[in-house]
Amino acid sequence: MRYAKIYFEDLQPGDAMPALVKPPIQQIQLTRYAGASGDFNPIHQDDAFAKAAGMGGVFAHGMLSMGFVAQSVTDWLGVGQVHRISVRFAALVRLGDVITCRGKVLEKRPAKNGGEQHQVDLELWAENQKGEKVVTGRATVTLPSRG
Amino acid sequence: MPIQINMSVKGKEYAPFTVTVERGKIKEFARAIGDLSPFYLDDAVGRASEWGDIIAPPTFAVTFRDENADTAVMLRDLGVDIGRILHGEQEFEHYRPIRPDETYLCRSRVRDIYEKSGRSGPMAFVVREMAVTDGENEIVCLVRSITVVRL
Repeated sequence: MRYAKIYFEDLQPGDAMPALVKPPIQQIQLTRYAGASGDFNPIHQDDAFAKAAGMGGVFAHGMLSMGFVAQSVTDWLGVGQVHRISVRFAALVRLGDVITCRGKVLEKRPAKNGGEQHQVDLELWAENQKGEKVVTGRATVTLPSRG
Repeated sequence: MPIQINMSVKGKEYAPFTVTVERGKIKEFARAIGDLSPFYLDDAVGRASEWGDIIAPPTFAVTFRDENADTAVMLRDLGVDIGRILHGEQEFEHYRPIRPDETYLCRSRVRDIYEKSGRSGPMAFVVREMAVTDGENEIVCLVRSITVVRL
């Protein structure tokens, strides 16, 4: 559930993250992301440039897909609690692609020495409408305990 | 014929730069992703939150750029055209949320460069790390990236 409070005790290894399905990628979103992020590489804006560079046409910023993946985690477990998030960009995301972010709990790590830093490790990935993985990754999220 | 890149860039530290986070920039960034969490967008929700203000999404530090330490400078150092690069990997390690109106010091360096052959031919991998610290010199986040150069 979006923005619900999830506690460390609520999760178990193997639990699936609710899927986040994003709207189809449009050129205007890539232009907007360029402005917001400061990444003005023409390969994400200019089809002729991208073709001349041998990439077959424009493709999305990897960081936009990583933003989707991060959103899938914060929609589920809350904002301000992602300690670490890492991704590998496995395939290009093209205009019209529908990206779905998925994940699952890998491991739970209770706080050491009576501390409050209860953490869960997540496996994350994003796939396109053909089911091809475009991003794979991991996250470590700090969660509150029911105590 | 593969291109040669300037391997001596390995280990280079870029001039530190400061960034003051603008409230509107956080909102613009969240909206560009399509992440409409009120903790990023609504000042009243932010004020009532445990952080006392809106915070930035987990990937926001990618906006921390400086004309003397950005990808364009790195590409010039390496001798590579922008059309040849791809984003390989990215990592953010957060120690506390990034907030508006705060000024951070960003220190960026090239940790490693290595070459290997992939499906699409020879490639170079450029590993960068940026440390972001606050006014008390406390670490706020570490940003690691791998840029792939098609040689």
